[in-house]
Amino acid sequence: MLFNRRESLKALGLSAGATFLSPIMSKLQAQASGRPMAPKRFVFVVESNGLPHEQITPAGITPRNYQRATDLLDVSLADKALPFSLEPIQRWKNKVTIVQRLSGRVCPGGHSNNFSALGSFQMVRESQTIAGETIDGALAKHLGGIFPHIGLGISKHLDNNAIYNISAWGPNRGIPTMCKPDQAYRTLFGSIAEGSGQQEFAARNHLLDFMRAEVRTAERTLAGPEREQFGAYLETFETLRNRQSRLNEIRHTLRANGPVVTDKYRSAVETDRLDAQFDLGAAALICGLTNVLTLSSAAGSQDFDITFRGLGLNIDKHSIGHGGSYQGRTWSELSSMIRRYHFDLIAGLMRKLEAVREGNGTMLDNTVILYLSDGAEGHHSRCWEWPMVMIGNMGGRLRTGRYVDYPGHGQRGHRTTANMYVTLLNLAGSQQESFGMADPALRDFDQHGPLSELLA
Amino acid sequence: MEFYSSLDRDHSGPGQVPPSWRSVISVFSCLVVGCAAILFVLAPFLAGQEKTGSATGDLKFATAAESKNEYARIAKPFFAKHCVACHSPKNSEGDLDLTQLDPDMKESSSGARWAMVVEKLTRGEMPPRDRPRPEAESLAGVVRWAHAEAKRAGKHFSRRAAHVNGNLVSHKVLFDPKNIPPYQGDPRVRRLSPEIYKGFLKDHGNIKGTGQPFSPEGRNTFKDMGAPTIDEPVTAQLLQNALLIAENQTAHKIEGEKIKGIGNVPKEFLALLDPKTPPSDQQIEAAVALQFNTILKRQPTDAEQKRFAGLMKKTIADAGPIHGVRYGLAAVLLLPEAVFRMEVGTGKADEKGRVRLAPREIAFALAYALTDKRPDAKLLTTAATGGLDNDEGVAKEVRRMLDDPKADNPRILRFFQEYFEYPKAVDVFKETTGSVVHLGHDPKVLVEDTDKLVLYLFEQDKEVLRELLTTNKSFVAIKSASTFAQFRKARVDAIAKFEAEKAKNPERYKNRTLQLPGKAIYESYGLKDFPDVQPVELPGDQRAGIMTQPSWLVAFSTTFDNHAIFRGKWVRERLLGNAVPDLPVTVDAQLPDAPEKTLRERMSVTKEEFCWKCHRFMNNTGLPFEQFDGFGRFRTTERVVDPEATAKNVDGKGKSKGPLFRDVAVDTTGSIAHVGDPSLEGDVKNPIEFVKKLAGSERVEQVFVRHAFRYWLGRNETPGDAGSLQAAHKAYRANQGSMKALITALLASESFLYRVPVVTEKK
Repeated sequence: MLFNRRESLKALGLSAGATFLSPIMSKLQAQASGRPMAPKRFVFVVESNGLPHEQITPAGITPRNYQRATDLLDVSLADKALPFSLEPIQRWKNKVTIVQRLSGRVCPGGHSNNFSALGSFQMVRESQTIAGETIDGALAKHLGGIFPHIGLGISKHLDNNAIYNISAWGPNRGIPTMCKPDQAYRTLFGSIAEGSGQQEFAARNHLLDFMRAEVRTAERTLAGPEREQFGAYLETFETLRNRQSRLNEIRHTLRANGPVVTDKYRSAVETDRLDAQFDLGAAALICGLTNVLTLSSAAGSQDFDITFRGLGLNIDKHSIGHGGSYQGRTWSELSSMIRRYHFDLIAGLMRKLEAVREGNGTMLDNTVILYLSDGAEGHHSRCWEWPMVMIGNMGGRLRTGRYVDYPGHGQRGHRTTANMYVTLLNLAGSQQESFGMADPALRDFDQHGPLSELLA
Repeated sequence: MEFYSSLDRDHSGPGQVPPSWRSVISVFSCLVVGCAAILFVLAPFLAGQEKTGSATGDLKFATAAESKNEYARIAKPFFAKHCVACHSPKNSEGDLDLTQLDPDMKESSSGARWAMVVEKLTRGEMPPRDRPRPEAESLAGVVRWAHAEAKRAGKHFSRRAAHVNGNLVSHKVLFDPKNIPPYQGDPRVRRLSPEIYKGFLKDHGNIKGTGQPFSPEGRNTFKDMGAPTIDEPVTAQLLQNALLIAENQTAHKIEGEKIKGIGNVPKEFLALLDPKTPPSDQQIEAAVALQFNTILKRQPTDAEQKRFAGLMKKTIADAGPIHGVRYGLAAVLLLPEAVFRMEVGTGKADEKGRVRLAPREIAFALAYALTDKRPDAKLLTTAATGGLDNDEGVAKEVRRMLDDPKADNPRILRFFQEYFEYPKAVDVFKETTGSVVHLGHDPKVLVEDTDKLVLYLFEQDKEVLRELLTTNKSFVAIKSASTFAQFRKARVDAIAKFEAEKAKNPERYKNRTLQLPGKAIYESYGLKDFPDVQPVELPGDQRAGIMTQPSWLVAFSTTFDNHAIFRGKWVRERLLGNAVPDLPVTVDAQLPDAPEKTLRERMSVTKEEFCWKCHRFMNNTGLPFEQFDGFGRFRTTERVVDPEATAKNVDGKGKSKGPLFRDVAVDTTGSIAHVGDPSLEGDVKNPIEFVKKLAGSERVEQVFVRHAFRYWLGRNETPGDAGSLQAAHKAYRANQGSMKALITALLASESFLYRVPVVTEKK
């Protein structure tokens, strides 16, 4: 999918509907006219069931327990081979930062930290309550976009379409994760890519306006929770209506670069659906539909025991997490194998972004991908540490190609996941100094600010 | 928050609390993390408050001043003591400053925040776990104030607790015939269930590109409960569906000058499509009326006719007739009425403050309760002609639907499937070649057999629950019963062939066994062959009811073993009606990997004090089923690794040749305790004695009725439903355990047919 973004943007005649341009489109327009103003994109890949720190430690570096990690370890990856599960991104090693020993003790731990994984806030263990915004929601609000945020994922249940698991706009306002790729395709690309031009565009707007009025009238006749039900329905029509014009502006891009729907989009096999979601996510980024993408691989406590049958495994991740072996492979080998599959997908996404020129580089240069597990460091997480893999340097603003191992919880110089999220917010241009809730056990520490060690 | 009031209304003083319950409560109170919610729900119970009166505990505010006084008296000091350290102007954690949150919910917009505060408090999420617990009595006072103030302000706290375990409502309150609390069912709208919407799409030809967008909520006892909200991706798909259906409704071709419909296109729609002649007002009116009738099964009102005709004209004007008509027709499919179940009630409130659902609402509710489909013509006619205006009429109609031999009522089987959970057998990955070998394990067939058994007992309709729990009848590979003769013939041939090969090549065949088709299925039931008669009677000392069906046993098993803990939890919740707290995950809930021990022995780690606080509610009600292996086969011994023999099992170089096993006698003892019903409690020797004891209990029957209520009402029971529940149980008993009588009673109950309107917010 090699095409020149700049050319295609020019071809769109962007000046035509300037009032509808999203912030990112304005920036791209500015860039197309020669001014240096790089867009910023964030991708979160969240895999269920924990990421044990040793599984992302390259050979030659001794994995250390968080209690033993008393100092900052900052090692170049240049002469290190990435571990088995990260091998698919080996070729971009200089863009990778492996970040270890950040803690997330405000999170409840357990099989999944649900919304608190990306939110760094307290909640009852394994509950679905949402105490605040999550980092992807916060970035989406900051950056805007036709779809400020797109959440794609897989659930173990084929029935599930829009589920709420890890992303949120704010307290009790979850962001859906779309779990049916074919339906997600239609939500993102369908209205324009399959539509037939301006006439239909007008009719669609009339319909959406009409529905808004109808649902609003119906809503007024109700009270209490019933009213909330209709209120939510009403809001969806408002969002759809407001988005129409923006989609119309980029309809040619959408038609030209939207993904091709294959059998995988409706497959019963988990890996097929995840393949499709990565495909769809890449296309959404490339078409400029969004700047913030969250890819959820069965994250959240409702799905963590998914089975990756597409990889030939007949054992679910919960059993693997409990030390289960399968066909002679240990739990660790199985979990590395599943992880490697995810990094294959990440590598595929990176290749696609790299193929699109943007400014003096490629889209990949202006994208940060953060890989982590909603289950923090293990199957039953305690969140003493939260291993992460960060990919991309955001136009050179991050110093990458390194293994950065922070001092453990309670040690001098220790940092938390909230600091990681502040780093991302700062990259996005926010001045925010803190995120989520502070760890009460670290009240003697300065918990503010970004991870300055990662910045260039 | 109804749960709170339920206990508030429990008339029993502390002296009447059964001793076993008290121990349960005190155990719960020790557990801070997972069980705090329960502690708080039980708090007033513990404190032994004797309250009578309404849900807000007699508290009713006529004026803002009254409310303010109560706030100052009880709530303010409470917050000062427990909350403002963190929720003050200085330190407003979670953006909450309790010193500034307006206690007047009517004049301010603070209602939603108060609802949250009350929720956090009653669930025990606040104060944080490391802070001292508030006194139950003062907490109860705060909650009572908040409820009364909310009521005064016309705000609604209800439903937030929808996902809490329904068993938390006191059984005693629900089944006390002397003190029936007033009915309080709120008006309801719920989006259609995935199945109903799927059926709707099917009725419209399952057009390519249409899709069912709703997700089950997944947090309730039954799938179709609660009030899931609709989000944008869902509406995007609904819109897509509407347009595709409308396109199909107007499919046409142009031959010469003429527009011709493709398939069954009504002339009312075709008439609008002519590109040359714009449609007349009458033509548009006819099309709108037809679409209303097709999609909503009713005529539009005059106002609706006007609005929809207006839209149609506008879309035709701007997009031409073909697109215009399509978008105009699609609007009807997106109306709230087409996407939601409306159970709001109409008309004047009766002397009890209740309004009855409109006949049309009742017709839809009945149809959705049994069929996943919109009401049929008969039901709609009955509704239109006054047949549903009284409870007897509704009961008659329900009976007609249940007795109709041609009717397909998938919701009935689904209730039993979701209640017993045996279909989960297909989700459990089984190791078929480990220490326990069971090649050919086919859980799908096992589930089909239990489905058939359920339907068989439902058709008999006599003592349905007791039969479900105790019958030794079973179906075996019932779906392929017609091919048993072929199976047998194939088997004879296979054996002959195998023996012949073996005779020719004895060395190669030394360790081989023949895998016979279907063997794994009949062996799961302890049979040596397919039965000739179905249902077959299995040995009564080996099998009794669903919980001894292989499907149920596999559903509650793990890859390698039984899952006695989940089995026990199921019994505890679904039959005994108690609530087991969720797993506190600070505990690494893993049994030791000790292949030389039985599951029961490995489970002994849960007897540690901290674990036992919860496991005492599960282990002993699950362990009797150790009578069966992980595939549901009856056994008297089980196989464990023999460490001594294994240690000696080495080759010449001292390398292990693998584990050796020994058989030990199975221990099937268990016990029932901590229920709140002394007649049930005591030790049991084996699963048969166990399930028979359960089946003879009135409480178990009532707990079953509670679950049926949850399923058919789509919500948890509240104290105000006591009348409906008792009537339903009475009907079940009066009709010798007739499930049909139970369903009829539920669908003709006060809880099903009436709503107590909430005051609309006035701004």
